[in-house]
Amino acid sequence: MKRNSNAFLKNEYEELVKKDFDWKLRILQSGSTPHSIVDGKEVIMLCSNNYLNLSNHPKLIKGAIEAARKYGAGSGSVRAIAGTMELHMEVERKLAKFKGTESTLIYQTGFAANAGLIPQLVGKGDIIISDELNHGSIIDGVRLTKADRAVYKHKDMGELEKVLIDADKKYDRILVITDGVFSMDGDIAPMDKIVELSKEFGAMTYVDDAHGEGVIGPDGRGIGAHYGLEGKIDVEMGTFSKAFGVVGGLIAGSQDLVNFAYNKSRTWLLSGSHPPAVAGAQYAAIDVLETEPEHVNNLWQNTKYFKKELNNMGFDTGESETPITPVMVGESSVAKELSDTLFKGGVFALPIIFPMVPRDKARIRTMMNAGLKKDDLDEALKLFEKLGKKLNII
Amino acid sequence: MYTKIGFIVNPISGMGGRVGLKGTDGVFEKALQLGAKKISPIKAKSMLNHYISNYSKNDKIKWLTCSKEMGENELKKTGIKNIEIVYIFKKENTNSQDTKKACKILMENKVDLILFCGGDGTARDIYKIIGNKIPILGIPSGVKMHSGVFGVNTDATAKILHEFVNHRLVVGEVEILDVDETLYRKGEWKIRFFGTAKGIVEPTFVQVGKTVYESVSDEDIKNELSEHIEDEIEKYNDYLFLFGPGGTIDYISRNLGHHNSILGIDAIYNKELVGKDLNEKKILDLLKEYERVKLVLSPIGAQGFILGRGNLQLSPKIIKKIGIDNIIVISTPSKLISTPIIRVDTGDKNLDDTFKKEEFIMVVIGYRLSRVVKVG
Repeated sequence: MKRNSNAFLKNEYEELVKKDFDWKLRILQSGSTPHSIVDGKEVIMLCSNNYLNLSNHPKLIKGAIEAARKYGAGSGSVRAIAGTMELHMEVERKLAKFKGTESTLIYQTGFAANAGLIPQLVGKGDIIISDELNHGSIIDGVRLTKADRAVYKHKDMGELEKVLIDADKKYDRILVITDGVFSMDGDIAPMDKIVELSKEFGAMTYVDDAHGEGVIGPDGRGIGAHYGLEGKIDVEMGTFSKAFGVVGGLIAGSQDLVNFAYNKSRTWLLSGSHPPAVAGAQYAAIDVLETEPEHVNNLWQNTKYFKKELNNMGFDTGESETPITPVMVGESSVAKELSDTLFKGGVFALPIIFPMVPRDKARIRTMMNAGLKKDDLDEALKLFEKLGKKLNII
Repeated sequence: MYTKIGFIVNPISGMGGRVGLKGTDGVFEKALQLGAKKISPIKAKSMLNHYISNYSKNDKIKWLTCSKEMGENELKKTGIKNIEIVYIFKKENTNSQDTKKACKILMENKVDLILFCGGDGTARDIYKIIGNKIPILGIPSGVKMHSGVFGVNTDATAKILHEFVNHRLVVGEVEILDVDETLYRKGEWKIRFFGTAKGIVEPTFVQVGKTVYESVSDEDIKNELSEHIEDEIEKYNDYLFLFGPGGTIDYISRNLGHHNSILGIDAIYNKELVGKDLNEKKILDLLKEYERVKLVLSPIGAQGFILGRGNLQLSPKIIKKIGIDNIIVISTPSKLISTPIIRVDTGDKNLDDTFKKEEFIMVVIGYRLSRVVKVG
């Protein structure tokens, strides 16, 4: 049969463009800094995950350079064969101490952690119980398993308990999985209650703390420390790509978990290990968090000020408890318009629209940065107020 | 591009309720003698007014309707333009024949949606003609509104219309139910399931990119549910499976290669049809033969009944024998959005209470995927 083997590439891309579903990449001509140059324009950055501004911290840069000088640009292999350097092990040991867990394992990315580990923890005859608002990478990890899946209403512990009662009768292993900080609303999972309920039914707990790592808990130690549950969550998954300012995924938990994970996660086994520069920067990032509490403090001070001022202006900031502050707008078209006009005015913040959020809950998602000064926040707030009034949001 | 909306008002719908009649079908004269007033024209105008004031700014609609109080009056009084009268009724008072005749003409005119004001009786009349060829949306105005075609109230119906015209809602399945009015007036309350029509529902989305979601067709979802039930049949290969009524379950049955009875109860063992359109006695006979039984049910949209509406063959005696744990409830996610509570009305209060004591039920919404729903 004669066929055009590549026609679908163009067709499907054009279909995305037609529906306005394609990613129109914004290009940074600077580092990811509080004031970034994006598409040639200087903007106040309110949509990066670089919460603590560590990606530009001199110690991280130094850590990366020194590691590259000492060990080279690449690691030469996957971790399992010949790509595990002493530096990788040092980062994992330092991270375990930071997290207050027995052990840790670093994956190439957070997505690789979820997609690699979740399918190994459960299989046929097991069940995964998931919060309805969990992040896409958890959902993909879940899709790769042969286990049944049950969904409970966002943070509804009554419903979780009910699913656990039902699952207890029917399944072998039970895995309860949740985001730590929910990326659309900025609210925090009730991990204490989740752990308590799960223990009652002998279920494993797994938290994706990508937006909580480096942000919540004392010194940004994450959701386990936030609730005083260090070592009690079976899998605390996180990332170096957001507040830590580098790249890479991580899991923290028992030595049994780590031994199991690196022998079973195909994403970990079949991807090259992090280049020395990445590992060097990761090590430095943990060091900075341990020794310089001002970054986490600044992040929270900025967050509190920004939220309070937005609320005083009459904006609804939803249920957020973290530096992710949604500015509720309502209709998707208004959110897009607000985001566009903010950008023109020098503020970069992403619109989050239906169906990512309910139809009447489109919003601008702002993500705070510890490196922003009060003047920067006032400038952004002034623009929010002006446009909010113009678009009849406030 | 204009959306063609067929608009029908059943002007006598809802009259019976105010004077203690559970419906107006066939007893219009009596309702009138008892002093009943027409309420559906008011409901229709209320919905249209809400629509005009809140949503119609950029909506491009061509209205096809019937003369006078069957639609023309309400549209004109609201100031709506772009109206075409396609059916003129001749007698002083309309009856269900007029609704049916109007539907035939609207179908010939290839409308995109039939928007009607009435109750279950009107929905049933429309369904008899339209079947599942054109979606139906009801402005609630009748005495009984068990069918899944109605908006929650007039304002909500206006919003649904707006979202539909702007392609943000999609066409899905809804059930048409009604009390058997002749039996009711003899003192018997029986709600019958008349069939599955097309209604307006929330689309189901899956995430395909970081922020890109694609809506999944109802057919894809039903194929997933089908696969799930097939797996269950294989897993419980010594169980008899009883399939309840409804479009989703009918779809699954057809996927298994059976021509079942969409309105009735069928029995399947090892993927073979062993009983069709069963009454209570026949089901009880089968329960003697097969010790282990699973019962597959789907809730009536919005109202959420899984028992007691349209499946009275499944008597309390049968349910007790099968056991609550052996009931598998399935639903498309879009139907579940408008169905926050699962209900039972078996006629046996103790049995109903047993369901309520469970407080929740797991509803299968995809292949190996379920979610918890409250039982009310």
